Amino acid sequence: MAQVAFGVWDGVVHDAQNGKIPANSPLTELKKFDEFDDGNAIRAFFGDRGFFVFDDKVSLIDGLYHYMEKAAEQSCGVCTPCRMGTVLVRDALDRMRRGLDSTLDFDDIEVLGEQMKLTSLCGLGQTCSNALLDVIHNFRDRIEQEVAEHRPIKLQHGMAYMTAPCIEACPSKVNVPRYIDYIRDGKPENSLGVLLQKYPMASTCGRVCVRYCELACRRKFVDEAVGIKILKRYVADQQQGPKALKFTRDMITKPLEDGMKIAVIGAGPAGISAAYHLLLHGYHVDVFEKTEQAGGMAQIGIPSYRLPKDTLALETDIIVELGGHFRYGQALGRDFTIDDLFAQGYKAVFLGLGCQQGTALGVDNEDKARAGYYSGIDFLLKVHDHVGGDSKLDLKGEVVVVGGGNVAMDCVRSSLRLGADNVHVIYRRTEEDMPADHEELVAAHHEGIHFHTLCNPTRIITDNFGKVTGVELVKMEQTEPDESGRRKVRPIPGSEFIMPCDTIIAAIGQQVEDSEQIASEGVDLNRWRTVETDRALSTSRPGVFAGGDCVTGPSTLIYAMAAGLKAARNINDWVQLGTPRFFKRSRMRQLIKDNDFLADDVVEAPVRNMYRVHNPELDPELRKHMFEEVEQTISEQEAYAEAQRCMRCYRIYSVVTEHSIPEGAA
Amino acid sequence: MCTLDTEVLEARDPATATIALFINGKPCIGFENETILSCARRHDLYIPTLCELDDIDHTPGTCRVCVVDILEAGKDKHQIVTSCNTPVREGMVVETRTKQVRDMQKLQVELLMADHLQDCATCIRHGDCELQDLAQFVGLKENRFFDRARTEARPIDTSSAAIIRDMTRCVRCQRCVAVCRYFQGVDALMMSETSVERLVELRGGGDQANSLCVSCGQCVLVCPTGALGERDETDKALDFICDPELTTVVQFAPAVRVAFGEEFGLPPGTNVQGHVIAACRKIGVDVVLDTNFAADVVIMEEGIELLGRLKSGQKPTFTSCCPGWINFAEIHYPDILPLLSSTKSPQQVLSTLAKTYLPQKMGIDPKKVRVISIMPCTAKKDEAVRPQLQIDGMPETDVVLTTREFARLLRREGINLGELEPSEFDNPYMSEFTGAGAIFGTTGGVMEAAVRTIYAVVNGKELDQIELTQLRGFDGVREATVDLGGPFGEVKVAMVHGLGDTRKLVEKVRSGEADYDFIEVMACPGGCVDGGGSLRSKKAYLPNAMARRETIYNVDRQKTVRQSHNNEQVKALYKDFLEAPNSEKAHKLLHTHYTERRRTLQRSVKEVWDDVKMSTMIY
Repeated sequence: MAQVAFGVWDGVVHDAQNGKIPANSPLTELKKFDEFDDGNAIRAFFGDRGFFVFDDKVSLIDGLYHYMEKAAEQSCGVCTPCRMGTVLVRDALDRMRRGLDSTLDFDDIEVLGEQMKLTSLCGLGQTCSNALLDVIHNFRDRIEQEVAEHRPIKLQHGMAYMTAPCIEACPSKVNVPRYIDYIRDGKPENSLGVLLQKYPMASTCGRVCVRYCELACRRKFVDEAVGIKILKRYVADQQQGPKALKFTRDMITKPLEDGMKIAVIGAGPAGISAAYHLLLHGYHVDVFEKTEQAGGMAQIGIPSYRLPKDTLALETDIIVELGGHFRYGQALGRDFTIDDLFAQGYKAVFLGLGCQQGTALGVDNEDKARAGYYSGIDFLLKVHDHVGGDSKLDLKGEVVVVGGGNVAMDCVRSSLRLGADNVHVIYRRTEEDMPADHEELVAAHHEGIHFHTLCNPTRIITDNFGKVTGVELVKMEQTEPDESGRRKVRPIPGSEFIMPCDTIIAAIGQQVEDSEQIASEGVDLNRWRTVETDRALSTSRPGVFAGGDCVTGPSTLIYAMAAGLKAARNINDWVQLGTPRFFKRSRMRQLIKDNDFLADDVVEAPVRNMYRVHNPELDPELRKHMFEEVEQTISEQEAYAEAQRCMRCYRIYSVVTEHSIPEGAA
Repeated sequence: MCTLDTEVLEARDPATATIALFINGKPCIGFENETILSCARRHDLYIPTLCELDDIDHTPGTCRVCVVDILEAGKDKHQIVTSCNTPVREGMVVETRTKQVRDMQKLQVELLMADHLQDCATCIRHGDCELQDLAQFVGLKENRFFDRARTEARPIDTSSAAIIRDMTRCVRCQRCVAVCRYFQGVDALMMSETSVERLVELRGGGDQANSLCVSCGQCVLVCPTGALGERDETDKALDFICDPELTTVVQFAPAVRVAFGEEFGLPPGTNVQGHVIAACRKIGVDVVLDTNFAADVVIMEEGIELLGRLKSGQKPTFTSCCPGWINFAEIHYPDILPLLSSTKSPQQVLSTLAKTYLPQKMGIDPKKVRVISIMPCTAKKDEAVRPQLQIDGMPETDVVLTTREFARLLRREGINLGELEPSEFDNPYMSEFTGAGAIFGTTGGVMEAAVRTIYAVVNGKELDQIELTQLRGFDGVREATVDLGGPFGEVKVAMVHGLGDTRKLVEKVRSGEADYDFIEVMACPGGCVDGGGSLRSKKAYLPNAMARRETIYNVDRQKTVRQSHNNEQVKALYKDFLEAPNSEKAHKLLHTHYTERRRTLQRSVKEVWDDVKMSTMIY
């Protein structure tokens, strides 16, 4: 492992050359810092919390110049010290590295650096001079020596990367502060433009995303996380008004010739996202979908009171507007095979099959239940047909739903709307353990759902005709915490009891439906019976890539869309070059993650409380009988107010490397 | 942050201030969530600032000048924070003038000056600039970072007839954006670009003349520098005045006389009508007329028009005297244009008559008449160049000077208004006015004037109670019922001022939710007394509104004739020239029409992507 020669991190000075290595120096435990890419050693690293150097021949002036150049380029220009300071310091360092006289000396630069650090408005300005100041305060002799002879400094390689906690938390790496900035600026269309760089289903995501970004948001240290999802929905819903952005073919900068066609199997979020990005790369894309509609789980798995069908359709239509084709009613194995696709000249295949087969409870008499028993996913499919007017589904009496995830919550809230007298949730752990979104649980409580936690089904009770009449449950208890602090649950013997019911819905998980077919076509599955892929999302069969739930098991919309983006990039590389390319931003993210550089630090200075706005909601008494969307879009004025809450926790990281870093896909 | 929540803006009960802290050693008591700046001000402690407009809670934290040193209770580390948006905390110790703080404030202003064009002598804001003041407050002595080339590369938008936007002087305080967005609800401005390219642009990216902007000029009132200003036309006015071949006619608006004295050291709200007349004569104006006279004519025309529309069941009718409102309707809600009264505004009525009726009476050549109009309004400049408002290729109104330009004109002529002996109107045809014409300058005034005359027309007698207090007030939207008697009975009227509230009202009218017969609209908050062409104030939004309003109502009270239809010169106008209100001739001369000017801002994703600045762009 490479050793740090000198540096400063979190204010701790580390100077191995002069024998100064403080106890607990954070720089002695760096992870995976030997090389950036194959055979390309990392010589120095600059960040928001300091800098460190492995190779003491590195020019600090040049390294700091590149760092400050990134800051000046990314400064939003809102506040005075960062807007002007980054530019002045950058220009001064630039002259120094080119061997020219600078109008500003190190004292001036220090004053500007302090000004930026102490008086800037956002995270970028407040942190972008930290490394610079650490150098000036502790290793000034080195930089003075670098400029002493006024000689140009030899070219150094490397890269700089700007990010924020919310960006790193997002599977799609959406530039969250940027799209919030654009709302503040009065350019919601640019805000949507930022989102559309990553996925086409912004309105859908603005309704159902699980919001990893908001968990990472540092505003929570002041009052509450910024309403990132609410704002996303606000900008995306502009598409339903007069200012809707037009999707035109000139978005495709380099259309490829006719033969460059790719097959996408499954029109769910992963497939739609892959198709969108492949189209933008210039390919001709056909999307094979076994049902008659696009959207996948977003279409059938999310009830219309959370995601109206026309909203989703508006977004899947983008594929058609960009020249893609949907082939509906085409099921893999039934209507075509992967071999067929390659025979027809498709250069590559993306599998976005989803994970749509409900998992059985595995309890007694489950196989005998003929009426009144559904898996969660089948039930939502029937709800979907009911809302679409294709077939009617009426419930009455008592409905029991087993499970604690979002699918289970969708089932309970839908059951209520279909006429159930009482709806019960059965979950083997506690409510705190339920994986469903907190908001979903709150909404279910508001709508009068009965929660029964720490109990588990053991047997389904049916009448002679196989009609469900009840379920036997056993009470559970929590065990003492084990070494990892986790409490398990175990049944309490003899605590069985019967809960009479008319319908039981098993919403405890799903599996890949077409696994046998895929396996027979040379695509390996793993032991969880999902598709096996490498980091580039390629499967065991060359030219076949996969992403979304069929790889990860049931997961989230945002993970599926991120997989579509990543697969499209790698498919492009594979078709053009025969192999996926190195992606330097991913490598930088990995470096940051491996070393926990993005500290979850508290906000030090007092900030005025401004609590977040909420989507207006329909009255629970009214809404529990209908499938119209419960949450409404916020107003323009509310969007401005919410956008002002973002603190822009941008941070810049840069590396200096031995050789130039290979240029990956964009 | 700028807020619409008026509760925040109301004076708070001192008893609810509970947070004890020290500012510069002085014990202070702060409110929950109050900023250090506002707390310091309440305790008479000065902190230099630039971007904030604290009275409307605009604290965007962009300039970073108001930095102070704080030490929170229980902490051992001092911090530098901006006082405008940092809340007070119990036991906090604030220092506003340590050496470090003063140096930082000074450096901040120097950094602000790095791309601010400092050709102060040629600036519209010369001698009256918040940035110049600030430089003095922080003791700025040098300007090391100024980059002329970078500064002059920033755009100057001269496309509008009314307002010039000079980004070389913009300090990015965003006050204009806030007023346009939160108060006027026009939302015509946006912040664009990043880093040193950062600037204010018109939404949609085009020029001012083709934007959503309605030229109300409220942004000009709050701009701390010369970045925003009216199109200066004082030279054009002087050209007319100095040309012996021409007959120059000046008219000045109802609100000008109550919102002008401050410039020359008189108390806010002083009525300087006589001084203005004297000043006009002194600079060589041939005929001094009063827009108030035309306001009385407007009441005759609009009143009779309204009765006609009420009879035919058309409602509501919107007033048409405010050009900011006309722009707003044409650009933002063209579908309601048929609901607007067709009567021209008082400015255009006076100009038209000054080029038709007046020459006939005075025996002068109408082609040699030039009308100079002095208005508290920037949108009036827009109005004067409307193609609908020209006679034979000549504009009805030749030049509009805002109150600010008029002040500039007097200074150029070496006149100190306060030292002049007040004079009186002497034109026997177009200078008499009634109390009704006078109150046009404030919200509710047009409605009140109209009701006084309409009531008399319908009932053949004057109203018993001439002051209709139910129409007065300062709420954004006010509604009342007025008994017109006769076949009309009670009618429902509404008065709205400020375009933010206007938008809400128009939406309600369009959705059928609001049911009014007659609606008065004034685009500027408070009406013309605080129009976008009036004098600027520093560090405050509309501080003199009440004093000006009060004086306007006093003008009315002091008039013996308080109804437009009793104006003797108006009577003569109809008898000798126009025949009757809404006559064919009156229609031809004093009515106009409106055109749809809806802006389509629809863009393509490709265009947006080309505009997005972000290092992680994929496409």
